[in-house]
Amino acid sequence: MNINTENIEKNRMNFWEKIYLPEIARGLGLTLKRMFRPKMTRQYPEERWDPLGSYRGRPVLVDEDGKERCVACGLCSRVCPALAIEVQAAETPDDKERFPAKFEINMLRCIYCGFCEEVCPEEAIVMSKDYELVFASQESAIMNKEQLLVPVAQLQARLEFLRRYR
Amino acid sequence: MENLGWILLEASIKAFVILNIVLLGAAASVYLERKVSAAIQDRIGPNRVGPFGILQPFADVFKLFFKEDIVPRAADKFFHALAPVISLGVAIAVYAVIPFAHYVEINGVKYYLGIAPDVNVGFLFILAMTSVGVYGIILAGWSSNNKYSLMGGLRSSAQMISYELSLGLSLIGVVLISGSFSLNDIVLQQSGWKWNVFLQPLGFIIFLVSAFAETNRAPFDLPEAEPELVGGYNTEYSGMKFGMFFLAEYANMATSSAFMALLYFGGWQLPFPAEWLGLQEGSIGLALAQFATFMIKVGIFVLFFIWVRWSVPRFRYDQLMNLGWKVLLPLSLLNVILTSIGVLIFK
Amino acid sequence: MPHIYIDGKRIETQSGKTIIEAAYDNGLYVPHFCWHPELSVAGNCRMCLVEVGLPKRLPNGEFETDSNGNIVVSFLPKLQIACATQVSDGMHVRINHDKVIKAQEAVMEFLLINHPLDCPICDEAGQCKLQEYAFNHSRGESRFEETKNHKDKRVSWGPNVLFDAERCISCSRCIRFAKEIAKQDVLTFVQRGDHVTIKVQDGAKFDNNYSMNVIDICPVGALTSPDFRFKSRVWDMSFNNSICMGCSRGCNIQIGVRNNEILRIEPKTNMYVNKYWMCDYGRLSYYKKINENRVTNPTIKKNGVQIEVTWDEAISTAASILRKYKPSEMMFIGSGRSSTENNYALARFAKNVAKSMNLDYYERIDQTFADDFLRTNDLNPNAAGCRSVGIVPSSDKFSLKNIPENIKNGSIKLVYIMDEDFDLDEKYIQALQNAEAIIVHSLNHSKLTEIADVVFASSYFAESEGTFVNIDKRVQYFEPALVTSENLHRMGMKMSRLDKFGAPNDRWTQKELRNCRPAWKVLNMLASQFSVNFNYNKAEDVFNDIAHNIGQFNGMSYRLLKKHQGIILGKASNPDPVLHNYESHYMKPN
Repeated sequence: MNINTENIEKNRMNFWEKIYLPEIARGLGLTLKRMFRPKMTRQYPEERWDPLGSYRGRPVLVDEDGKERCVACGLCSRVCPALAIEVQAAETPDDKERFPAKFEINMLRCIYCGFCEEVCPEEAIVMSKDYELVFASQESAIMNKEQLLVPVAQLQARLEFLRRYR
Repeated sequence: MENLGWILLEASIKAFVILNIVLLGAAASVYLERKVSAAIQDRIGPNRVGPFGILQPFADVFKLFFKEDIVPRAADKFFHALAPVISLGVAIAVYAVIPFAHYVEINGVKYYLGIAPDVNVGFLFILAMTSVGVYGIILAGWSSNNKYSLMGGLRSSAQMISYELSLGLSLIGVVLISGSFSLNDIVLQQSGWKWNVFLQPLGFIIFLVSAFAETNRAPFDLPEAEPELVGGYNTEYSGMKFGMFFLAEYANMATSSAFMALLYFGGWQLPFPAEWLGLQEGSIGLALAQFATFMIKVGIFVLFFIWVRWSVPRFRYDQLMNLGWKVLLPLSLLNVILTSIGVLIFK
Repeated sequence: MPHIYIDGKRIETQSGKTIIEAAYDNGLYVPHFCWHPELSVAGNCRMCLVEVGLPKRLPNGEFETDSNGNIVVSFLPKLQIACATQVSDGMHVRINHDKVIKAQEAVMEFLLINHPLDCPICDEAGQCKLQEYAFNHSRGESRFEETKNHKDKRVSWGPNVLFDAERCISCSRCIRFAKEIAKQDVLTFVQRGDHVTIKVQDGAKFDNNYSMNVIDICPVGALTSPDFRFKSRVWDMSFNNSICMGCSRGCNIQIGVRNNEILRIEPKTNMYVNKYWMCDYGRLSYYKKINENRVTNPTIKKNGVQIEVTWDEAISTAASILRKYKPSEMMFIGSGRSSTENNYALARFAKNVAKSMNLDYYERIDQTFADDFLRTNDLNPNAAGCRSVGIVPSSDKFSLKNIPENIKNGSIKLVYIMDEDFDLDEKYIQALQNAEAIIVHSLNHSKLTEIADVVFASSYFAESEGTFVNIDKRVQYFEPALVTSENLHRMGMKMSRLDKFGAPNDRWTQKELRNCRPAWKVLNMLASQFSVNFNYNKAEDVFNDIAHNIGQFNGMSYRLLKKHQGIILGKASNPDPVLHNYESHYMKPN
């Protein structure tokens, strides 16, 4: 076996590096400098953040003229890596023939990857800006269709972003 | 012995006051740790509990009190409970011999400010006690019945034994110069800016490095290296048992800082002659000034401990051992020899 | 034997075969829509275009060779359809050639011009031939900029078939099926060009016994089942092989399951039994019995009310009831709907443990049910298996049809009924009310379970594995498709994705599992109450016991049954060879 005896730590380092102290002093200097820089912290409950269109918050269903765009094709459910989405289709007399009788997202499972939005052929499920998700129980974390529906007017920023960059 | 009862009363009053000071100091260092780390990372740090968040450590402790105490089924229940007590107890016991100021003279009686300040082997007591502290950690590691805990405990003991050598040897220089094991004597001998740090620079650096290792603080916090050992010896601890380890760590840090201040930076000695303040030797005013001086010195070292923790990455285990055995030990021996020669020549 | 060369590979074939058949026999695949091995050749989809040629011959009769010594082939300038071109000796065929691929892409582009591309709402998506070819043989874009043709949607052809004219690619498979297989020639093309569509003859309905097979053979989603419509996406379902319980033909089926619920039953190819087909009755009639109104826990009757109990309690209660009666006072009733294993276990229990020879099963003969294709008059899927393992009355006096009298005159006091409900025949239910004790294995709640003293929650189909012996004495293996609390740990890969990975807080897994067991397992437990050890741990143990003890089954095993497409009784040593199965299009496992 060929053992490397040339490029070992002992040979790589010079005396000052070997005793560590000067490097440590430099490190301390660096952190000292950082200490007096302006802070980045946002005081969250008081100062809120309005995300940009590119932000992936809670997935929601697009509500157009009081009806969901969704046709319950189940692709979001299929692509969801965390199996958070459950869709049950049913027939409707409308032109689109098919609608989700049940559409549930288990927000405890959702990982906000945005695959559902990416795969959706109808632009019916999009990631909203909603990032404040707190649930009192496991059951309340499962959001049904009514909770998920958001009027299309409130989702313009995201839809715009998708059209431009997707 | 005039009256054992009075002595005990005096000692317990002192002990009560000092215990509170120590725990408040630990709380303060927790707060300081969080604020300094936040500052280094461009954050603000705790600012919700009390003004500027200064009550945060108390909130933390309350939270720990109310948390469920989980003991693994396979753990040795007795030692699992004993380990944090040893850790914290030892960390606090050290303060018995630390002089916080010189003395107060009331009605011609000298009250020394320290629980047992004129113990003539106070120096050895501290060393002995810090070594006992390792029992808390190795017991915690063993009794948890968890491989990570055990590894953490083993690392801790190996590390402490390795660095205790250079730590002790580096202090011999100080003892040689002062010729006493009594901490008060060592402090008094440094009066008038004759601080040992100027006479023992090498010894001080060795002591500083070893102290970091002894207290398991970064960059030598291998016993609780998260990436390898989850939480090290306190993996299986929760609630206030974890809190005791937590407090012990900060108490140890304060002990090391106090030791440094006492041995190398003149302890409670004011940086200027006491006459400038116009205070009598033995007066309460002077004692308070000395106490403040000591506390400031200790505070600076605690700050340094924290600063180093958030700046220097953790050493690898082989680096740690190399440094301890191949660098610090020979250097401390050299320091002993040089000091001895110096003492022979100059005294 | 003529031989042809496909893409340079020499293939032996028979004269009279078409290129696509010759290729298929040798594992080569020619894309096609309208061709189906059981239907006549229409040649109207143009998807199977291939390049065909013959080697050039020199005047002296020898093959012309080029400078490298290879034979020079002169290909026809026009591509030929592989489904209608018969092979001739020495023919060269190219199926993976630039020209052919270009032709396939062009055909796909034409087919997709008026196709609505509504895969998101189409039930066929995921097992659609057009979708599959759009990936494999299409350029992925269209040059058609005008508006698509709109045709009728949701046209009902009959009770079980819905037609969407927009999705239709006019392959005529359904027309040919109606004419040639179902013998109900009511479908035809109307209109021309891009307005072409399929209509049912005025006044007629496409309502024959086999109408739903057109849904399977339709290469696109133009034909859908109103029963299954939009219930589930195919990729969310698990498909497990089973045997139809509609009648004694034993059609091979696949059970589509999601959320532990049977949603669809479709035929599985078995050229020895059902070829590619099955009847609508089999698809629609009985699966709801398995989904709904189930006995989910064993119960015992206390004070006239059925109370759910644990298995141990139910077994010990049943044992104490059995101990009360003399062997001659008991009657054991097997079931032609239950697996051979269950019936064998019952026969063994009756003869060896209860020492009773009073065994029989309920015959389900419906003279109006049979037709000249697949359906048979015997509605029991396993009557032959039942008889072959010994569920036959010892004397005519103690047969099932005499049970009302026997109960009345007190010669039969205890009736043990396994997996049978007599189709709720009033005659038997009335008679049983007078029996002193009744022990029942039952799938569903019914009048019978109301009067029973002990009810064992049973799983005899789709929830357990076993074998059926069909009318031609073919032993066929079926595997479980649904999960019960008993088979949960073995179902693993057979479950659909949602069922498999659901966490306890997911809605779709919150349905409680049925605590039902196959009868052989119950009988095994019951026998141990009488200090008899059957040693059955899995259905395979029972079958091995059958194979060991019953001559006709000698040499059979589950492994052999799974390998072959069923084995005729007594022919385990030389089973029918496995035939190469053609699958038009199906859900590909992912």
